[in-house]
Amino acid sequence: MKRKVLSLAIASVLSGALLAGCGSGSAGSGTSATQAKSDAAPAASSAVSTEAASESTTPASAAKSANIPKLTDQPLTITLWDIATEDPAKTIQEGAVARFMKDYPNITVNQVHQQNDNYKQQLVVAMSSKQAPDMYMHWGGGPMAEYYKSGFCNDLTDMYAQYDHPDFIDAAVAQSTYDGKMLAIPFGGYSGCDLFYNKTIFEKCGITELPKTIDDLEKDCEILKSNGYVPFSLANANKWTGSMWYMYLVARHSGNDEFNAAYTQENGGSFTSEAFVWACDKIQDWVKKGYFPEGVNSLNADDGQDRQLLYNETCAMMLHGSWQCSSIKADNADWYTQNIGVMPFPHDAEAEAKGVPQNVEVGTAIGNGFSFNCWKSDGSVDQDKLDACYVLATQYYNDDTYNQQQLEAGNFPSIKGMEKNITDPNQKIVADIFFNASNVQLWYDQYLPASVTEVHKNCMSDLFGLTKDGKQIGEEEDKAMQAALKEQ
Amino acid sequence: MAVQDANNNSKSKTQSRIAWAIAFLFAILQLLITLIPFVFMIMNSFRKQFDMLQQGVFHLPDPWFFDNYGTVVKAGFFGYFFRSVIVVAISLALTLIISAFAAYPLSRMRFKLRAFIYGGIVACMSVPMHVTLIPIFDMTQKMHLYNTLLSLIGPYVTFALPMSVFILTAFMTTIPKELEEAAEIDGCNKYKNFFSVILPLSKSGLSTLAIYNGVSMWNEFAFANTLLTDPKVKTLPLALGQFKGEHAMDIPLSLSVLTLSVAPMIILFIVFQDKLVKGMMAGAVKG
Amino acid sequence: MATAQKTNSLGAAKARSTAKAASVFLLPAILLIALYILYPIFDTFYLSGFKWNGISSARQFTGLDNWKTLLTDSNFWAAFQHNIIIMICSILLQIPIGVLLATFLDAGGKKLNLFKVIWFLPYLMSSVAIAFLFAYALATNGGLISSFATIIQGKRVTVDLLGKSPQALYTVIAVMAWQFTPFYMVYFIAGYGNIDTSLYEAAIIDGATRGQYIRKIALPLLAPIIKTACTMSLIGSLKYFDLIWNMTQGGPGNSTELMATYMYKLSFQQFNMGYGSCVAAGMFILITAIALLFTKVFVVKEDY
Repeated sequence: MKRKVLSLAIASVLSGALLAGCGSGSAGSGTSATQAKSDAAPAASSAVSTEAASESTTPASAAKSANIPKLTDQPLTITLWDIATEDPAKTIQEGAVARFMKDYPNITVNQVHQQNDNYKQQLVVAMSSKQAPDMYMHWGGGPMAEYYKSGFCNDLTDMYAQYDHPDFIDAAVAQSTYDGKMLAIPFGGYSGCDLFYNKTIFEKCGITELPKTIDDLEKDCEILKSNGYVPFSLANANKWTGSMWYMYLVARHSGNDEFNAAYTQENGGSFTSEAFVWACDKIQDWVKKGYFPEGVNSLNADDGQDRQLLYNETCAMMLHGSWQCSSIKADNADWYTQNIGVMPFPHDAEAEAKGVPQNVEVGTAIGNGFSFNCWKSDGSVDQDKLDACYVLATQYYNDDTYNQQQLEAGNFPSIKGMEKNITDPNQKIVADIFFNASNVQLWYDQYLPASVTEVHKNCMSDLFGLTKDGKQIGEEEDKAMQAALKEQ
Repeated sequence: MAVQDANNNSKSKTQSRIAWAIAFLFAILQLLITLIPFVFMIMNSFRKQFDMLQQGVFHLPDPWFFDNYGTVVKAGFFGYFFRSVIVVAISLALTLIISAFAAYPLSRMRFKLRAFIYGGIVACMSVPMHVTLIPIFDMTQKMHLYNTLLSLIGPYVTFALPMSVFILTAFMTTIPKELEEAAEIDGCNKYKNFFSVILPLSKSGLSTLAIYNGVSMWNEFAFANTLLTDPKVKTLPLALGQFKGEHAMDIPLSLSVLTLSVAPMIILFIVFQDKLVKGMMAGAVKG
Repeated sequence: MATAQKTNSLGAAKARSTAKAASVFLLPAILLIALYILYPIFDTFYLSGFKWNGISSARQFTGLDNWKTLLTDSNFWAAFQHNIIIMICSILLQIPIGVLLATFLDAGGKKLNLFKVIWFLPYLMSSVAIAFLFAYALATNGGLISSFATIIQGKRVTVDLLGKSPQALYTVIAVMAWQFTPFYMVYFIAGYGNIDTSLYEAAIIDGATRGQYIRKIALPLLAPIIKTACTMSLIGSLKYFDLIWNMTQGGPGNSTELMATYMYKLSFQQFNMGYGSCVAAGMFILITAIALLFTKVFVVKEDY
């Protein structure tokens, strides 16, 4: 896990603005332009603020603030791929592009909405034929590294240091970074993973205080069970849904240490180490006690079967991504307000006593990021295009209008200070948990190398299906991890 | 003698009645197995997501909710629909004629390499479609067909060919040789023969193929998704993705898309199956 | 002597004209297949010799390494085994039920059209819809089967069909049969249509019952059609992808993983295109070999 530590370190160096712009040979707008960081005010607004003081000569760039690259006045077309097939994302993201094109009429953005399900395949097909878009969204993690290593991703380190950008939270910068290089501009917002619960059921069962520790949680589960409820809703046909429980229990028992060690497989690091086995035992114990619905492996989250169990009041809690706030609200706002509450994943008292941090958050700090793929035919960087993409991603996506609309849609921009604008009480809690996290552990299935992800996901079936125990699961993950490390 | 005959007759009649009764029982069971998922697709398309999830999918709509269809139509459903009609119609016509062309010599002529070519075409059935995505994407770009409806026709026709040739060859083999020979004596050459004797007699085979290929082309997703990215040219199977986000999917809305997509196929089949019967009768008359 | 020569050259001329006609008729099909199938398959075999993530311009030639891995890849062979189980079960389910339904419709004639139309419906549905509907019909909580079992047993029963190995595989097989049987039904109806009605009339005059006619006359005549259908079902189940992908994505664990889904995951999700191509090529060889073996074993000598 050296890599992550390193990237975090570099990220903080970056946001600390110590890296002055090492002139990337672009249209000479940059001196040591590192004003990007101003902790006091939300940076987005500072970046977007209409300081008309700009003395840039082209009318095109006059509209926006000073410290951004001067864009070409030649006709230019940018092809952009995203997955905003559906509203509200569609309207919000098309709006950002429209504002950009209004300010830069010579630049055409060809915005293509791909389908989420097959998006990764689409990118592979296009990249293998050298037809990849100039600007494309992704989820960070292993695939981003792969795109970069294969030459489909411009290194943004210098530009990010040199030019204005929103004041992204550190975790988002860290997740946009690989091998010490800034590779993506976040635009989707962060998602945490929290425990949703039905307030009405809790009340009915006389649970007045939310469980602080895992022991409390178990006590509450027994109460719920004796009242005829299944404590946790889960649809594990998708496998990454069950993984959330696994990730959290590991994180509560060992912070990030054991996962980081297992990731490198160095210094005795292993997926069979104590926290992993403990997490598996805990889950399997809970499965046996009936804390999860029967047949979780056949329930499908894509088809809403986990929410169904919540809606028909079979289950009282659900561990899920914070986007569920808006999903449930969209399904039925009244029901959501009346019944749904959110709490952080309870602490492991025993580990806490040993000083293990109990505020590691599982989730994603960037949600979606844009990477750029701007090259000339001789293989050098197409700076004109890259500048345009950079401005589009940092100044139009992530501008005030965009962020406001994102908040209204229930997405939380990964920008400092944004959390103040949240009104929904549950979403406030989600933000609070997220910003007080000591570290954000990206979903394993996005963080691990793709081949390990597959093994990990299959193990999650076995975990909840009780077909393998913690040690066997750990050994399989170790084997896959070692094979993947050898490949690199 | 006559009495015994009549006895036999009535005995076999009761037997036959029992056989029919049993057959009907199973037929109705099969009817239910077939219909239930369909009924639920249509029922759930008239609900809101929350109601569907809360009441369960096997509950009648309460209340009925009709807006899904409006939303789907407003989102440009008919555009997707007509583009699909165009692509499928052209591809299907080409598939049928080209595969009939190919099946004719393979089933009714003796020439060198016959077995080899037949084997080769049939072997192509075992090609998994997904491995061809990248080369075909590449080719489509080079032919400047990317993002046009035409880009789909090549792959659709080609991937339907091996199976179609295989089926039609089997069908044409069953057409009695004498018919062709008679025509040949009347002075028809191979080409005339094909159009005047073989093609009309292959009707039932062709209509089976039309159904088989028509349905798979109508529902085809992978090629459409890879070769079309412009919303102005997307076909019906891609319409579904329009209502599916990263984390959320409006299931009733999706079901109304699916219902609307499958409806024309059902109507066509009801119309078409009459033709199918006629095709069969054509087959029956030939003796 | 002279006459013999003449017939010979006549024969040769006839052979030539036949060959010419044959090539004219075959040309369009062969051209399209060469372009859209042979070239990609060639490409697949070529790529199977590389270590390649699918997107990088750097490919590393590794010779037969991928193929060596394939031979000992337990995941691939497990997937292959699933394919074989699906193949056997599909042929045993889809074809007989298809024949039964077609026989029923053929015997009943036009008045059973309603049955035909309704029975055919599943084939018209897209795999996405089928996957969704069956996810709910088979759900452990409130699904049709579980509810039915609960009613019958009088106490709460959970029938977990998709969540456990090995029943998940058999459940998927049943759903596949639901989807594809209608097609074979229509295929066999067309087959029945090709049987001369005079044969039936003659049989009835000879005092045969309908059942006898079907067993003794119709079914044997249907044999070549049934054989073709079996071959189709065989190949179809060996390269199957759609429904599994939409319904289980190979899960739980890898208990419904198929060769095609495995290949797809390797090529497009795990950045292992080289090996994915090798799996695809291996798949191609295996399917062709099995199909060939099948047609050789069950060959009905075609005469013409």
